[in-house]
Amino acid sequence: MSSVQPTTDPLLAARSRSYGAIVWRQLSRRTTAMVSLAVIFVLALVAVLAPFIAGEVPILWIEKGEISFPIFHYLTNLEYAGMLAFVLALLLPVTARLVRPGAERAADSPLARAVLIHAAICAAVLLALVVLRTEERRYGFYLERAAQAETAWFPLVPTPRYPGYDSLPLRDNPPSWQHPLGTDRMGQDVLLLILYGARTAMTIGFVAVGIGSGIGVVLGSVSGYFGGWIDLLMMRITEIFMFIPRIVLIIIILAVKPSGLSDLWSVVVVLGLTGWTDPYRYMRAELLRIRGEDYITAARALGIPTWRLLLRHAVPNGMAPILVGATFGIAGAVFLEASLAFLNLVQTPSWGELLNDGRQHLGTWWAWGAAGAAIFITVLVYNLLGEAVRDAIDPKLKI
Amino acid sequence: MKTYILKRLLLMIPTLLGVTMVTYFIVRLAPGDPIEAMIRNQSGNIDPRAMKESADKIRERLGLIEYHFLRDPLFGTEKSWAQKPAGAWFWCADAADKVASAAVGYVNWGRRLAVGDFGESIKFRSSEGSRNPLLLLKERIPVTGTLNIIAEVLIFVIAMPVGFAAARYQGRWFDRASSFVLLALYSIPVILAGTVLIGYLGKGGSGWHLFPVANLHSFGYEKFGWGGYIADLLWHTALPVICLVYGGFAYLAKMGRASLLENLRADYVRTARAKGLPEEQVIYRHALRNSLLPMITMMVLAIPSLIGGSVIVETIFSIQGTGLLLVDAAKCYDLALLMAETLLYGVMTLLFLLIGDILYAWADPRVRYE
Repeated sequence: MSSVQPTTDPLLAARSRSYGAIVWRQLSRRTTAMVSLAVIFVLALVAVLAPFIAGEVPILWIEKGEISFPIFHYLTNLEYAGMLAFVLALLLPVTARLVRPGAERAADSPLARAVLIHAAICAAVLLALVVLRTEERRYGFYLERAAQAETAWFPLVPTPRYPGYDSLPLRDNPPSWQHPLGTDRMGQDVLLLILYGARTAMTIGFVAVGIGSGIGVVLGSVSGYFGGWIDLLMMRITEIFMFIPRIVLIIIILAVKPSGLSDLWSVVVVLGLTGWTDPYRYMRAELLRIRGEDYITAARALGIPTWRLLLRHAVPNGMAPILVGATFGIAGAVFLEASLAFLNLVQTPSWGELLNDGRQHLGTWWAWGAAGAAIFITVLVYNLLGEAVRDAIDPKLKI
Repeated sequence: MKTYILKRLLLMIPTLLGVTMVTYFIVRLAPGDPIEAMIRNQSGNIDPRAMKESADKIRERLGLIEYHFLRDPLFGTEKSWAQKPAGAWFWCADAADKVASAAVGYVNWGRRLAVGDFGESIKFRSSEGSRNPLLLLKERIPVTGTLNIIAEVLIFVIAMPVGFAAARYQGRWFDRASSFVLLALYSIPVILAGTVLIGYLGKGGSGWHLFPVANLHSFGYEKFGWGGYIADLLWHTALPVICLVYGGFAYLAKMGRASLLENLRADYVRTARAKGLPEEQVIYRHALRNSLLPMITMMVLAIPSLIGGSVIVETIFSIQGTGLLLVDAAKCYDLALLMAETLLYGVMTLLFLLIGDILYAWADPRVRYE
């Protein structure tokens, strides 16, 4: 009885690196890519932790010997889910390493498994929160009552989120120690507005582009793999959506949306539903190429069901242009969201809104300047990262 | 070639039908209430309770007074929104009713379009007081056209030398610096640039009052003569054109760089070098000419996206072009005008794609369409 020995040749072992690892190695050699990633990390961190950085609700509050943590009552379910998602995204490599043995046995990608596991955890926690926890924002006028407390730990920049109309002395203040970026014409702290604007930008960027890429990948892979009349039909439909000016679709839907629907999520949905044409074309082109490859023929000869073939072999190999396109897409979505807020089409805490205020109040340069700089840095960073990812994957990629 | 062009022109018809149909159905079936949209457009975002109150008031009034907005034939046979029963039970019947009436409305629109009738704008009138969307667009197209032509020419004139120089000195400091600077320019939001330019350089701002910020001509520009006319136009369009132009460099310069690099690696360049031609001659006589040709096609293909970008620029500078009209039409639910605009944008995009393809074949004899 003889068993096949696993190869122990170090050369062979060194060569069997996953595609993602190769791209990551290429990427980590580029300074611009690493700097961009660091900036994106900081932006995401700041967006997730916004209530801890600027706001009026204390983290710790001791009054008459009674200890309370008001901010944890103040946070919404979605905010908790967002924080969890951020932590889980950072932990992805750890989970990927943990599930590697199982994944390799099933010839599966450890990273894909980790992503699925984390998404499931996040969804479960959000569901549990929605079911078990009643949301109520408790304001409690902590800033005004600060003197009554024995100990109060406020956020780094203690400032009211919605100062009342009696806040005249707070209006249009230039940057100071108390308000690092000054205050706007309503007396709101600009840093706080920038932080909440970062939340909007990040949500729009990730979720809208995620929805768009998701639709594009599904439709594109089906269209490219099966070809024939499905492909023809889908190409025609895509053409139609390509030639409707995207901004028209967005403005129409925003103009007639019910006033009860939140502006942020309607923008996310609209941008997602109109942003799938580019990912569709990339994925279709990739699959037209991939479906003729030997490994697909081999897999088909082995009798692997089509859905599994697509999911495990064809689609992962066509993801490169989608990834690059999504990175540029986030930059575009941030741009578009800011423009929509600038044109007063949506009412979200947004950088575009601050810029729009600057049109009438040019004197408060700290407010619109900070917003403009925030948009510029975010867009630049995503564009730089997109270029770096493209160069790392394939410099000849035409995106 | 002629058959190819004819075929492409014929293929445009189903695409345009699809484009208009999707737009029409989205406008008609979009969730939400056109009456609320109307209120929001007139008095800004008000709080939900006040919104509901005034919407109810309008609905109540509409039961009594006839209102042209709801009686527009483009809206099909739908019962007026005023009489719609509320409640979940009616939702299904209501949705079916909406789809059916939208379909009827679309067919109506198509039938009227076939005889050259674009319907009537609810809100806008042309300078002669006509409500015909076609006349409205005819007034606005030259404005948007002028802006975009000036922008296109400038982009081409500036981006090409930069791109070619970057390719010529590939990997050296100029290449790297220009690619970063262009990307940074590309990342400056138009809304920031517009705010700063209007605020500090525009008349009525708080800086130097150098440039006018509305209209494309001075008062009485007809008497200026040829040179004065151009100078006046450039003076008026300077700020919006800057906004349209600076973001376009990056893409085109990159294309120019890639194009020249590809040609520099071609066999005929190696042959030219092997012949002992001086480097200058190899580049300017052989490689550069060949890489300019695809660029012309790129320019034509870039026009539709530039026109799309001018929507925001026109809104910031309140230039009365097609883009601003589009935003206004969408905001007040002006169906006839929106459909005419969509058709215009669709035809423009498709036509420029076709022209781009034809130019490509004309510039490169290796490309053949059959």
